[in-house]
Formats: sequence, C-alpha cells, structure tokens
Amino acid sequence: MLDTLSFLLIDGITNGAVYGLLALSLIVIYTVTRVVNIAQGEYVTLGALSFASALSGSFNLLSGLVAAGLAAFALRDVADKHLGASARIRVLLIRSAWIAGVLATAFAASRFPGSYWLAVLASLAATASLGTLTYRLTVEPVSGASPVVLLIVSVGVYMVLHGAAVLIWGAEPRSVPPVVEGGVSLGPVFIAYQSLWICGIAVLAMGGLYAFSERTLMGQALQATAVNRVGAQLCGIPVRLAGQLSFAIGAGFSALSGLLLAPLITANYDMGLPIGLKGFVAAALGGIVEYPTALIGVMLVGLTESFSAFQVSAFRDVIVFLMVIPILLWRNAVRPPEAHEH
Amino acid sequence: MSKTVTRARIAASLCAFISAAAVGLVGPQAASAQEKPELRIAAIVSVTGAASALGAPERNAVALFDKIWSARTDLPFRVKVISYDDGSDPTKAVSLTRKAIEEDKAHVVVCCTTTPSSMAILDTVKAAKITMISMASNAAIVEPAADRPFTFKTPTSDKLMLQRTLNYMKRHGINKIGFFGLEDAYGEGGLKELQTVAKETGIDFASAERFARQDTNFTPQALRLKQAGLDAIYIHAIPPSADLAHEALKRVGYTGPIYHGAGSSINAFVDIGKANVEGAIIGVGALNVYDQIAKDNPLGPVLAKFAELYDGTYGKGKVDLFAGQSWDAMLLAVNAYQNMSEGAAMRDDLAGTRVAIKDAMEKTREWPGVNGVFNITSSDHLGLDKRSTFLSQIKGGRFVLIEE
Repeated sequence: MLDTLSFLLIDGITNGAVYGLLALSLIVIYTVTRVVNIAQGEYVTLGALSFASALSGSFNLLSGLVAAGLAAFALRDVADKHLGASARIRVLLIRSAWIAGVLATAFAASRFPGSYWLAVLASLAATASLGTLTYRLTVEPVSGASPVVLLIVSVGVYMVLHGAAVLIWGAEPRSVPPVVEGGVSLGPVFIAYQSLWICGIAVLAMGGLYAFSERTLMGQALQATAVNRVGAQLCGIPVRLAGQLSFAIGAGFSALSGLLLAPLITANYDMGLPIGLKGFVAAALGGIVEYPTALIGVMLVGLTESFSAFQVSAFRDVIVFLMVIPILLWRNAVRPPEAHEH
Repeated sequence: MSKTVTRARIAASLCAFISAAAVGLVGPQAASAQEKPELRIAAIVSVTGAASALGAPERNAVALFDKIWSARTDLPFRVKVISYDDGSDPTKAVSLTRKAIEEDKAHVVVCCTTTPSSMAILDTVKAAKITMISMASNAAIVEPAADRPFTFKTPTSDKLMLQRTLNYMKRHGINKIGFFGLEDAYGEGGLKELQTVAKETGIDFASAERFARQDTNFTPQALRLKQAGLDAIYIHAIPPSADLAHEALKRVGYTGPIYHGAGSSINAFVDIGKANVEGAIIGVGALNVYDQIAKDNPLGPVLAKFAELYDGTYGKGKVDLFAGQSWDAMLLAVNAYQNMSEGAAMRDDLAGTRVAIKDAMEKTREWPGVNGVFNITSSDHLGLDKRSTFLSQIKGGRFVLIEE
C-alpha cells in the first residue's frame, strides 16, 4: 500500500512539475499581454521535436525559419525613420547577434550530433525566439484589443504551429534518450532519473524566474507592465519589449518542459495540446495571475491525475478537467469578478 | 504559275501532314479514353493525427498501387486513385467520403485507417450505395453484414487474433489475465472481444485498465494491474502508446508475460520501444513474418511479391502489416471490378456499377491477399479465417514467428 502511494506521489509530482512550467508560461504571458494562450502547448511540441532533430544531427529547420523571421523584423526596425544613426547601428548589432546566436546553436548541434546540452540550447533558442516572433506577428498589431480577440488569435496561432510541426517533422513519433539512463530503486519503488531531472530543472527554472523578476530591472519592468500597462508606459517602460520578453520566457519554459518530457513519452507533433490544457487548469486556480496559487494548482492537477488513473482509469481526464468548475466557483467566491482588471 | 502550284502543293501536303499528326497523336488517346471505362478508387488514410503510425505505411502502399496500376495499358479498363488524409478525425473522414462520392464520383471508397473513422462513415456509404473497404480492425465495422451491406474490411478481426492468442495462453498455463488498452472505439472493441473469447477459452478475465493515445503517464494503471495478481497482461493499443504501456508495466516491477494485439504488429513498435519491448508476444499478420512462414502456405507467393515491391520502393525491411491493409483493399476492389457481371455495359451507369462491385465483392472465393485467404459471402463481409493469424515474439528487435 505504501509502495503504491509513493509510486503515485512521485508520478503526480513529476507530471505536476511539467504542468508547472506550462502554468508559469501561461501566467507570464497573460499578465503582461492579456493573451490567454491556447497555443502554449505547441511550444512544448516544438521544443521536444526540435530537440529530437538536433540530437539526431540534422539541422533544425525551425531555427532557420525563426532566423529568417527575425531578419525580416530586424530590417523593419532598422528602417524606422525615427531612429538616429547610432541607434540604428545599435539595433542592427543586437539583432544580428541574436540571429547569429539562433543559427550558431542550431549549426553547432548539427555538427556534433548527440551532444545533449548543445541540442537543448539550440531547441530553447529557436523556440524562445519563435515566441517573440509570434508576439510581433500576431499580438502587437492588435495589442489594444479585448482579451477575447487575443484568445481567438491564439487559437489561430495554435492551428498554424500544429500544422507546421507536421510539415517540418512528419507525423511519426521520435524516441528521445533521457539525460541519464536508468533510475534509482527505493525499495520496490523505481524512480527514473529523468523524473528527478524534470523536478530539479522545473524548480531551478521557477527559482530563476523569481530571481529575475525580483532582482533585475528588466524583471521589475515586466512586473510593472503586468500590474498596470498604461502606468508602465507612462513611466517609460517599453511595453512592446515587455510583451516580446514575456512571450520569449513563456515559449522557452514550455519548450523546456517538452524536451524534458520527451524521453518519457516520445516526441510527436500531437503531444502539446493536452499538456497545455492541463497547465491551464492549474493556472486557473490562481486566476492565471498568481504564481504561488498556480503552483499549488499544478500539484493538485498532477496528483489528481495520478490517483484517479489508479482508481478509475477510464475517467481520469474527465476528473481532471471537471476540476475547472469547482476552481472557478471558488475563485469567484474569494475574489469577485469586479476586482479583476478587465 | 509553277511557283503558285508548288506553293499550293506544299501547303496541301503541310495540311495533310498536320492533320495526320493530329489524328495520330490525339486520335487514339481520345478513342481509348472513350472506349476504356475508368475505375475510380478513393483512398482515405490517416496520414496525420493520432493514428499516423498506421496511416503512413498505408499511404505508401496506396501510392505504390497507384504507380503500378495507373500506368497499366493492358487492362480493359483504367484505374484512377484519389488520395485523401482524414487526419485521424472521424468528422473529416465523413466529409471526405462525401466529397469522394459526390465530386470525384468514386466507385469504391477505401476508408479508413481507424475504427472510429470507419464507424463514422457507415451511414454515408450505405445511403450512397457505394462499396467501402475499411482498414481498421474492429469487427463491429462489418457486423452484422445485413445492416452494413456495402461495408467490407481487410484486417483480420480481433476475434480471430484473440482466439489464437488466448488458446496459446491456455496451453502455457495462463489462467488469469488483465486488459490494458485504449479508451476509444478500438480499445473498447478489443475489450469486448477479449471478454467473450476469454469465456469461451475458459480463462479468467480479472481486470481492465485504460489510457488515451496522448497520455503522458501510464504508471498508475500499470501499478493497479500489477497488484491484481495476473498470470498475463494483454495490451490492446497502437504505438507509441502501446510501447509506453509496456514500459510502464516493466517499470512498476511486473515480470509476467505481456501480450499485444495486432495494433502493435508494426515496425514502429520496435523502433520506439527498442530494448524495452524485448520478449513481448504479439498477434501478427502473415506479412510481419512472411520470410519465416512454412513453404507450403498459400499466402507465400503473394507475400513475397508484395514485400519485394514495397521494400524495393521504400527501403529494405520496411514492409509491415498496415501497408498490406490498404494494398489488399485496393486489389480487392480491382478484383471485384474485374469479376463484375456484364461489366462493359455498366460503363456510364455510376450507381449501377457501384452496386455491381458490391455484388462481385460478395463472390470473392479463395482469394489470397497479404492478410490471408479471403472468402467473402453476403453474410461474412470479412471472409478471413484462422489462416490469417500468427503469433510472434520480439527477439533482437525483430518479429520472430512462434511455432505452434
């Protein structure tokens, strides 16, 4: 009985850690840009698949596409009439370094197939940059629109990214090796090292995000934008830049969870959506704005999933998604809608 | 004067030459297009979506069929293949079937890869009175034949496969089994058959656990099965979830034998599972073990020919059971069209030809396909018997035939 309990606990916590990265991505993006990002799960897929292809030594097509997109926007930025000569050179230098970074990591990963951390780097660089591209292409032009419009836009983005994943990588699942093979046995309970890596890296990433938003100027600017967009703009915070940054962080975090999860379930173009939705259920507990409550939410979702799969496997997803209703009722009770800023 | 005559002659001969060339080039083609009737087969395959691992080889076989048969000029008719991808989505399968019936004026619909999609288009094909040949495994697709007069299928049924698997279990002293399978129509169909066959065989069916194709976690269910004290576990799923379920059982410390249904009888199962699925016992079709079956098996020559064609195009050792599903479906359609009574008279009568093809399908006798020997009648729309099932074990990353 105790074995069962510890097995289920470990399982629930591992899944919770994955959903946790997703929930944080959703919150970062929602608070700064007011986008309820349905496409969030697709960054999981893209992260896992570009990681798999980088590992196998083929040049990641996504990196090439992203670099081309960045170059297009760089041209537009440099051509901006309001910029002085020195500002232009600065913009050009920053953008070139960025594009070079994305391409260099992808190239390095394809030159040294099988080098794990290079592949991680290439995948994260490509996916995080794709986040900023998505923001500039789809959110910036309608940044003043109502949350519903932004939600529908994100549904469109989901469809495009989903299709792109099939086009680039095909429909066959790819198996991905774990960071370290094997695992430890605690008595009868077997824990794969990959599960420990997932939990460890998730905690590190969350800690990193906390330190970033509390200790750095950029992080505080991000927080300020999240609290009050107009106010932040009046204080001289470049709100657009904050939006790009939030999308980069969100996409990067989701990609990280994808490439950590891939060794356990294979990387395939269809893996993202259910993970994204479960991250959403967890984030809903914190109203997609509160980080600590969302973290309680992810553990709740992970453990509920694990235990309900053990008890009544036919209904486990039903139970997890049904949790949204009591969560919303509870949110409504403790924090009536008037208190929200919409 | 003479100049004018010469010019006129040149002009006349030029005219004659051009018209002769026109007749020579265009004439016979136009004539043959009118003379030879066209057999239009619409193949709707799940190239993308959750069942893409099965759909990809099926699409390959359709393309191979198209390449060979569209180019043939020795036939009294021409073959036209129309290819669609339903994305493993039943709704899309229905609309594509409608499109094939209405716009493409197909004579036969080869659809679909999955059981849910196949079930979804049943009413559409029945209403249009057009022959449908499914590539999905569930017996409910063609049963009862009285209700589904236009529906046929190529994969052997779960029932035949389970009868062989459970008889084998029984002989090896297994008395208590559990089910671990998908929670969709494919998995539920397998579960229902398993319960029936287990009762017939005298094996105790103890517990059932389910998962979804996109699940990220299989441990809790595996744990529960392990604790049920079973002699063997039967997994009814398709890769990659079949692999993940198998790995989860091993991870929680289950050491008994693990059996798989025909959904796992595909090369992707070994490619994804690698060493983790070593020792799995899988119900397979003849194609998985075509180089190992007895020499006197009637399927031998058919299998060898298809394997040679397929491997020749897509790479050595690539041929698998699912490529055979669409291949058999296409060839059964052609066979029925050839055997159709008063075939030539039906040329312009689309509805009549469709019904005639269905009638000819029901007269298929001892027809060797890669799935087995087909004997289709008006009451049995599958037409396969136990000659279509084999058991194999994964050894060294290969399907190795179990001699019984």
